[in-house]
This record gives sequence, structure tokens and C-alpha cells, in this order.
Amino acid sequence: MSTLPFGPRNPPEDPLLAKAAELPKDVMPQRDLWPAIAARIGQAGEPPAKPAFRWPLALAAAFLVASVSALLTWSLLRDPQRASPPVIAEAPTAGADIVPVRYGPNSGISAAEIAARDALLSQFRDALVTLKPETREAIQKNLAVMQAAADEIDAALAKDPASGMLQGMLAGTYKQELSLYSTVVTKRDGLTRRT
Amino acid sequence: MPAPQVESSAELVRRACRGDMGAFEDLYRQHVGRVYGLCLRMTGQPESAEDLAQDTFVSAWRSLPGYEGRSSFSTWLHRIAVNAVLARRRSPQGRNEISMTDDSGEQMDFEAEGRLDEATPIDIERAIASLPPGARDIVVLHGIYGYSHEEAAEMLGVAVGTCKAQLHRARHLMRARMGTEHAT
Repeated sequence: MSTLPFGPRNPPEDPLLAKAAELPKDVMPQRDLWPAIAARIGQAGEPPAKPAFRWPLALAAAFLVASVSALLTWSLLRDPQRASPPVIAEAPTAGADIVPVRYGPNSGISAAEIAARDALLSQFRDALVTLKPETREAIQKNLAVMQAAADEIDAALAKDPASGMLQGMLAGTYKQELSLYSTVVTKRDGLTRRT
Repeated sequence: MPAPQVESSAELVRRACRGDMGAFEDLYRQHVGRVYGLCLRMTGQPESAEDLAQDTFVSAWRSLPGYEGRSSFSTWLHRIAVNAVLARRRSPQGRNEISMTDDSGEQMDFEAEGRLDEATPIDIERAIASLPPGARDIVVLHGIYGYSHEEAAEMLGVAVGTCKAQLHRARHLMRARMGTEHAT
């Protein structure tokens, strides 16, 4: 079993970081956590679960997100006139039925990232009214693909919680979601400037 | 009488994979200090850190058959712990937890404590705890636990450049709060 060395590779040059490096690595909790852990992982002797082979599903879902998102973005940007004139009168609440991607308990998407997404989501919902109903429908399908990918990757992370690659795939899904919102907002702004 | 030999993590992992809870408890005893220390320093909340350390070991138990030994067991556990901390921050519970800094990294009640002494480990700990989360994470992973920028970036799910920028920011904030003029 090969292992990577643990600990600083080079002594830090910054005196404060050098002091930080000297801090004790081990800090013991005030109580023994083992009884609660043992209770949670089941009866003594029960072997750990065999990992479900979820990587291919997660990988396929992430690939699908990238492909579908790229296609939709291309479609949105290909012909800017197709989306005008705005259809505000037809769909005053067009953005209300848009559900953003929900990231599961195993993902490492931070509260700040969710807040940034939600800020953009508000502008995105406003911009949706400038799009044709079929485009909005395509966006909803795209978000459903992203949701499926986020769910698959989250399930894979539950089995392999230390995987940086899975975390990267989830971060990629998050970026695709932001990119989708951003593309729609940018497109709306472009149309506004032209009119 | 020879001292009892401490079993290696690799052998304990092999036994734990076969369902040996005693071996897993030994792994817990060997690693709980580092896992709890990491969680405590990343959250600044002892109760949260205890919960997260528990979550880390429960996740590790469930995922043991998938551990391939490409990194040390300690590093593998730390990756799980970091993911648990990040997930916690995202949760409604995590968002409601009190931080010593606001979202922009401005200290909230730090001045009342007076100037910190960089020669005192407890003051170094307090200076780190006062950092905004992103800056604190990289100081904990890179500064205290010795991970490279690349490793820390992968663990945190951010770009290497972001890690370096956060470390630069952290050093600036810590120097300001310590009242030191060290420049690198």
C-alpha cells in the first residue's frame, strides 16, 4: 500500500505560518466520541457496505450536463433575434416555476456559493420573461438534467466521500448552472441595449 | 518486557474492511485527534466539531472498501472531514452558527480581546479562528496540517490560485491582528 507523506513538505517562510505549523496537530475532543460512532455504524462485526458502483452513473450524468448545457447555450446565443420581442405579457410569472438545483448533503458547495447562485437566480427569473416558452421549457429540462447529475454525484460521494474528482464534478455542475443563468441574463441585457 | 507494538493503519484498515469493529476503533483512537483538530479549527465550534468528527468516522466506515491507499489513511480521513465541514456550512444549521467574522471577513468582537501575541500558540489559534472561512480553511490545511496548495485546493474544491490568494489574505489579516510587520 503506497502512501503519500503527511506534513509540511517545506518549512513555511512566513513567521506566522511557521508558528501555525508548530501548533499541535492533534486536539482531543472533550468526550469520547466512539460510543456514538459505534452506535451509528451498527452492531459489532457488521462489515462495511460494499461500495455501489456509482462512478459511471455520476460520470455519465456530469458529461450529460456539460453536453446539454453547451447545446442550450449555443442555441440561446446562436440567433439573438429569435427570443425577441419579449413575451412579458404572456408569461408574467415565467420564472416562478423554475426550481434551482438542490445540492445534497455530501456535496461541498458552500453557503457563499449558494448565496451567489441565488443572487444570480433572481436576475435569471426576471430575464426568463424575455424568452419564448419553448426556450424556457428547454431551460427547465436542462435544470432537470443538472439536478439528476447532482443527485448521482451526491450518491457517489456518499460511497466515496474523499473523492476530489467527484467533488470536482459537482463543482462543474454548479458552474454549469451558474453559466446557464448568466447566459440568459446576459442575453436579456443585450436585447435591452439593442431596443 | 517489550512495549506493545502499535498496529499500522494499513493493517487496521485491512481488518476493519473485513468488519472488525475493534480494528476500526483502534483507527479511531489513532486519528480522532487530527480529525477533531481539523474540524474544530475549520468551524471554531467545539460541538459542531464533535458532530463532524463523528460524521467523518461514520462515513469512513461506510466507505472503507473504497479506500485504495493512494493517499495516507490520515489524508483520506481529512478529505472526508473537509467535505463534511463544507457540507455543514451549506446547511441551514451551519449558516446559523455564530462566526467570529462576518461574510466580508471583518472581525466582530476581536478588538475587545486586545492585541495578540504571535509568540503564544493560543493567540496564533485565536488569530486563525478570527479569519473568514475561506482564508481560515487554507491556513488550517496548508499552514497547520501541511497540505500543498494543490492538495488543499482539491480538498476545498477551489482553484489553486484561489488557495494562494486566500493564504495571502489570511497572512495580511493575521499580521494586522497580531500587530506585526513581518513581510515575505
